[in-house]
Amino acid sequence: MLDTEVVEKLLSTALERGGDYADVFCERRRAASFRLQSGRIHESGFSVTAGVGIRVIVGESAGYAFSDDLSWESLQRAARIASLISRGGGASRAIRVTRSTAAPFYDTSRTSHASSEEYVKLLERADVAARSFDSRISAVNATVTDELQEVWIAASDGRYVQDRRPLISLGVQAVSTRNGERAQGFSGDGGRTSIAFFRTRTPESIAQDAARIALTNLEAVPAPAGEMEMVVGNGSGGVLLHEAVGHGLESDFNRQGVSLYSGRVGERVASELVTIYDDGNLHEERGSIGVDDEGTPGAHKVLVENGILRGYMQDHLNGTLMGTGSTGSGRRQSFRVMPQPRMCNTYMPAGESPPEEIIASTKRGIYAKAFGGGQVEISRGDFVFMVAEGYLIENGRVTTPVKNATIVGNGPDIMTKVTAVGNDLRLANRHYTCGKGGQYVPVGVGMPTVKIAAITVGGSNLD
Amino acid sequence: MIEVRGTSDALDYAHWAVQTALRAGATQAEATVSINDRFSTEARDRAVTKLEQSTGRTMHVRVFVDGRKATLASSEFERTSAREAIAAAVSQASHVAADPYAALPETRTGIVPDGEVLELFSGDVATREAQEKIDEALDLEKRIRALDKRISNSNGSHVSDTVSTTALVNSAGFAGAFRSTRVQRLTSPVAPDGAAKRMGAYGTAARRLVDLEPVEDVAEKAVERTVGLFGARKPPTMRVPVLFERDVAAAVLSDVFAAANAANVSVGNSWLADRVGSRIGSELVTIVDDGTMPGRLGSSPFDGEGVPTQRTIVFEEGVLRTFLFDTYYARKLGSRSTGNASGGAVGPNNFYLQPGSRTLPELIAATKRGVLVTDTIGFATEHASGTYSRGARGYYVENGEIAYPIEEFTIAGTFAEMLAGIDAVASDLRFDAGVVSPSFRVAEMTVSGD
Repeated sequence: MLDTEVVEKLLSTALERGGDYADVFCERRRAASFRLQSGRIHESGFSVTAGVGIRVIVGESAGYAFSDDLSWESLQRAARIASLISRGGGASRAIRVTRSTAAPFYDTSRTSHASSEEYVKLLERADVAARSFDSRISAVNATVTDELQEVWIAASDGRYVQDRRPLISLGVQAVSTRNGERAQGFSGDGGRTSIAFFRTRTPESIAQDAARIALTNLEAVPAPAGEMEMVVGNGSGGVLLHEAVGHGLESDFNRQGVSLYSGRVGERVASELVTIYDDGNLHEERGSIGVDDEGTPGAHKVLVENGILRGYMQDHLNGTLMGTGSTGSGRRQSFRVMPQPRMCNTYMPAGESPPEEIIASTKRGIYAKAFGGGQVEISRGDFVFMVAEGYLIENGRVTTPVKNATIVGNGPDIMTKVTAVGNDLRLANRHYTCGKGGQYVPVGVGMPTVKIAAITVGGSNLD
Repeated sequence: MIEVRGTSDALDYAHWAVQTALRAGATQAEATVSINDRFSTEARDRAVTKLEQSTGRTMHVRVFVDGRKATLASSEFERTSAREAIAAAVSQASHVAADPYAALPETRTGIVPDGEVLELFSGDVATREAQEKIDEALDLEKRIRALDKRISNSNGSHVSDTVSTTALVNSAGFAGAFRSTRVQRLTSPVAPDGAAKRMGAYGTAARRLVDLEPVEDVAEKAVERTVGLFGARKPPTMRVPVLFERDVAAAVLSDVFAAANAANVSVGNSWLADRVGSRIGSELVTIVDDGTMPGRLGSSPFDGEGVPTQRTIVFEEGVLRTFLFDTYYARKLGSRSTGNASGGAVGPNNFYLQPGSRTLPELIAATKRGVLVTDTIGFATEHASGTYSRGARGYYVENGEIAYPIEEFTIAGTFAEMLAGIDAVASDLRFDAGVVSPSFRVAEMTVSGD
């Protein structure tokens, strides 16, 4: 996007006043979206995000400026502002960069969007499928978004690497109604792929999932309240890992001594049944990256192994200060913001228990088949997450659906209470987005069926 | 390079974008140009750890082709690229269903509202020296450590500000622009509590420097939030009165706004659908949306599609009076825009619960046994069914006094029960965001702990 010479001059300018490291992040992203509401295409949108962010690192401090104007004057001004973090005393030095291209686990050959007709067709098929599923489905909303993000990242250590990241998602929300009572169900899928993905993962199958959950929730009774056993369903149960452990292992919180996991590498932090990976190299997953937003290749990281904490997710700044180097975890929402250490695709590998046995061994508890979003407070590890589709387990059998269960717990505590891990690892449907410090990035999660001996369910039903 | 700097440049560019859309085949068009000068700094202990300063520009274009709507959001102002992107949006519109309600607002008689009257812009913020802001962040770090020996660390003290220019032009004859400022200070102390850590946060935001809470108060409240929960336990599972402290109460109001949002009502995703005119809340529940309050963060002379903002009573002594509308949903539901268009959706102006006359400590003193919630986590809200459930932290209240800190519990109920159950509202309303609330008490809710 920017000529090699321009990038080299910008890096030199950024380090004019001194500094340990500088990088230039160029981005051009185009996204098309269509939304269906009340049986018709309600609106379409197109967006263009294009600009350059320049960062200077001095020790643990970082200066940052961006420009959405690619003229030399404007870029140079941004480089100078970023350099102000340095107190001066440096001398300008020549920087040379070498171009390279990322080799990701997704197809980078696509350079354009599908035709509008094709996106519209997906939505119409989803709408028909959800409505015809059951007469109690009273409303359907569906959205398709398809984006192509191209990034070019240059750093003062000589890299100038390019990645092209496709990302498509189809989300369907179904509302069910009976006697004035309403409930909803959501399902979505996609990934770092193209519209061709929906030839095999049909919009009908996604819409039927949403409709089925909406109907299940219509039958659901208020969730019980209090402490009980929980069986985490495979797939979206990975949200539990993401919230309960993942954020606490991002290196910024750990270097700064803010996370409860600070300084605990090598220590036991979970039951020995617990192993957790974060991986930027999974085929077409939302969180996969050819290179991260600092130009470091995506990687497979062992976070926890048989209950022992093995390492943190590092970006350049924190990884350098902590002496481990980057693990390819520096991600950012756009050129307007600095990268942070972030998760890619976080999952627990399969264990040995058949899922039926895990449920059969549960006397009274909650079966959290599908998870909605969650949130964590990283200094203590207290988390919540929402059960999107949940059931009671009574005497080893899955019985009545429950609604509005919020699970609350403490990450380190819950991880010691994992008493069974299923042999049925599944990566969740691909529709998760993670927020941190106001920045949103696509992520993936995965999980086998897992049993947790005791967790607090925040329903409204006291009996 | 493209110089789009002040209000007149922004207006000129928006005029050009509207003309470009019309030439590309739109029957109606609207362009909003925003220019934001942002500064932010973070200090940790004695170091300045972040310094960011940039000017960002975005344009939002809405085009209508005979009732078919498409939008463009772009950061690319170079005219050749912008022309192509606008043309792409116009072409995408042809795939949208024709909708008789999709069109620009009718131009209302009268003159474009004057932003100056609303006092949205403060020169003090716009001209403040960077060094002063950096020093303030460092000062916050020093103060939190000086206030309590247990504060050993922080998640950073932040000072940031934005100077914005917004210009909106449409092909129906509207053209308006205004400048605004926003300034914020925030700190987040960390202290060890046994083997684990506690982190609290407190911040203040306003349009003018003088409206910010003083640095010493911000530091003090942040420290109080951090050490106040030392030794917190898990409460028993019970049904008791629940007091929502101001900021947590504001989060509840955000969910109430979502249910009063006509876009949600229209698609059946609101528990308030069909209930205009009904008693929903207790008589203490008067909720207002007001975009005309001078100097407030949720104020603006006109909304996201050029409709003048207004004061709308949404709940009056418990009775739902109206939903909040942009032009599209007003037409669709047979009403009139309440000036709530925002970024292509329906959004709040200053949306707040009318305060009462007693202080929060007085409310606590009047609570025999209950829970004071000072922080919640989670965001799940079933707007269709109106159920509420959050992870929470706070204090157990016994005989009108704070007995001990509590955590790792949830509070749950329905919004209908909560609004009907509000039996006391405090006087502590502050306008540090668009959606705000004084503290209030709900007569009874389920608290799930042990």
